[in-house]
Amino acid sequence: MLHRRTAMIVVAALFTAALLLSLFTHSTGVVHNDPARNIWIPPELTMPVKLQVAYNDARIFFHYRWPARQPHVLTDLLRYSHGKWQRQLRTPIGSDPDGIYEDRLAMMVDDGSVPEFQRYGGYITVGANMRDFTGSGPDAAHRRKYLPATRRDPNDWYSIVDQATLDAQRRAGYFLDLWHWRAHLSNPLGRSDDQHIAWYRLYDSGEPMFVSNWDADSGQPRWMFDPDRAGVRALRWEDVAGGHRDVSRPYYLSAATAVPFDATHEWREGDVMPGQVLREPSGSRDEIRVQGEGRWADGYWDVTLVRALDTGHPLEDKVLRDQGVYSIALSVHRDARASRWHYVSLPLQLGLGRQAELMATRFTGDTPDWSRVDARELTLFYPGQVSWKHLSSARHAGSKYIAKGVPVKYRHKETQLAQYGVEMEFDREIRRQWALSLVAGVLLVASFVFSVSLLLGRRED
Amino acid sequence: MGPYHAIMVHFPVALWTVASGIIFFRALSDGPLARAFDRVLVSLLVIGVVTGVLSYVLGLLVWPPDTLQTTPLGRNHMIAASWSLCSWAAVLFLRWRVGERVWAGVVNRLIMVGLGALGAGQLAATGTLGGHLHGAPAYLSELMRVFGWDVYHTFYLPTWVLLSLAVVIVAMPALAIVTTRGHAAPMQRQDAGK
Repeated sequence: MLHRRTAMIVVAALFTAALLLSLFTHSTGVVHNDPARNIWIPPELTMPVKLQVAYNDARIFFHYRWPARQPHVLTDLLRYSHGKWQRQLRTPIGSDPDGIYEDRLAMMVDDGSVPEFQRYGGYITVGANMRDFTGSGPDAAHRRKYLPATRRDPNDWYSIVDQATLDAQRRAGYFLDLWHWRAHLSNPLGRSDDQHIAWYRLYDSGEPMFVSNWDADSGQPRWMFDPDRAGVRALRWEDVAGGHRDVSRPYYLSAATAVPFDATHEWREGDVMPGQVLREPSGSRDEIRVQGEGRWADGYWDVTLVRALDTGHPLEDKVLRDQGVYSIALSVHRDARASRWHYVSLPLQLGLGRQAELMATRFTGDTPDWSRVDARELTLFYPGQVSWKHLSSARHAGSKYIAKGVPVKYRHKETQLAQYGVEMEFDREIRRQWALSLVAGVLLVASFVFSVSLLLGRRED
Repeated sequence: MGPYHAIMVHFPVALWTVASGIIFFRALSDGPLARAFDRVLVSLLVIGVVTGVLSYVLGLLVWPPDTLQTTPLGRNHMIAASWSLCSWAAVLFLRWRVGERVWAGVVNRLIMVGLGALGAGQLAATGTLGGHLHGAPAYLSELMRVFGWDVYHTFYLPTWVLLSLAVVIVAMPALAIVTTRGHAAPMQRQDAGK
């Protein structure tokens, strides 16, 4: 039989151990990758991007530097397997297991014509039930970014307003310019793709900078490497799997160097061909150039994009002016991830010679001296599955602040938003564990005090 | 209800803070001042728990339940408030039921100090999280992070820990009952022999 004092010590020790166990194990056991629900959580929820901006009378330069363990410069491959060519194109859930997805950097730009953008950034473009969200269904591939006012019901992707209204919105500047640098599909040409977001994520007008290399009718590529120039007709799967690149071999097909596909050649198991052929773009699609070379070295991408302040395409590109203040927001895809598995920034005010969160440096001459340009380190974060529908609904405690126009930065930090994004993906499971934990904590304290009171006895005992 | 909740919480915060001070003081001292403070402890705790319940109910009315339980900060505020209220109600129960014997011996005093510290810690966490929800975050959340709780992570326990707690929840009173009955039986036999 235990002495009361000993029993008291044992009870206290059990209680203390339970408290410590709770403290050390809390917030674990629920979050895990679940491909069946389109859930994949990045190991790192935030990442830095260094940004410098400079401009002269005619052009603006953005210099980006961000960490990436290895460059991923391949995407959309055609592979010869089991005696036939097969298209490898797929949107991986999280990191592609074969490392086949290109690194990308995108930047949305607005001149104030989309007022919600400067307060909430890219969140406003994420409608309800978007592609790759949990439960979005097999028909969701086309449900991509759009601006809220392009819908009669901003939460209904299909309630697009009539064309006349869309046209009027465009003339009023209600669109976001989208600069889209891609390690495979634009960088080899020294370009960034040029898009814009309005009722959809649209390409700017002009000839595209890549065309499909897949001939669906014949089930084979249209083009291949020129063996005289490249030394090979195709790449080898073992050379590119894991995202690796044989630097002695070309990694992209361009219209200038490719030759028509030779179906009579004896293709081997594991031969690989790029699924897109690069070509010179034109028109508004051809406005954003890579200054120098976008290159990866020592664990970092360094990319400088340059564009005319006014491209002459005001319905697709935002016109930037000296003394103007604009809003930008960045996103980065790395580690062979696609779709929503990216990192995004909060909106940032950019002033051209005017005070703002980041002031672009005015310079004279053709190219800026980056050592004399202010740098800003942005924190990009994994946004999870947080839609504009949720943020503006009563379920979001901050919806009343959104209704009042309070900027997201006033209430949230990037690390917080990353964590919220993850928890939103497991909302039901976390809420259940949280409720059980609440009850368990109450019962634990009650049980402890009841036990102690029994051991100490009533005061009249 | 937000403003009324903010007004009301001043009472339990003040009363429980004073109560934790009294507990620490009384645990260290048997002097007349400490005993005098201890005599008002139950009264303070009763008012603290009553105003705490009122604050809790008002807090539940600030946002719809679904809204409050959808945000990690809301969930954390609610769990900390529930545990604070429970802890201080437990201290009240213990002090009221056991009387001054809670101060007899080092073990008893350590238990009271532990409960007072637990209640004070939970109270501080509740207030800090309330500040965050109100849009006035305090640096105390950084301190909480040092102690292992990032306020932006919902505090929940994995299933195996919940099962472990269930065992502890049952084991503690079972041990107490077995021990007290074991002590009561010889005394009853002794009484019967008289």
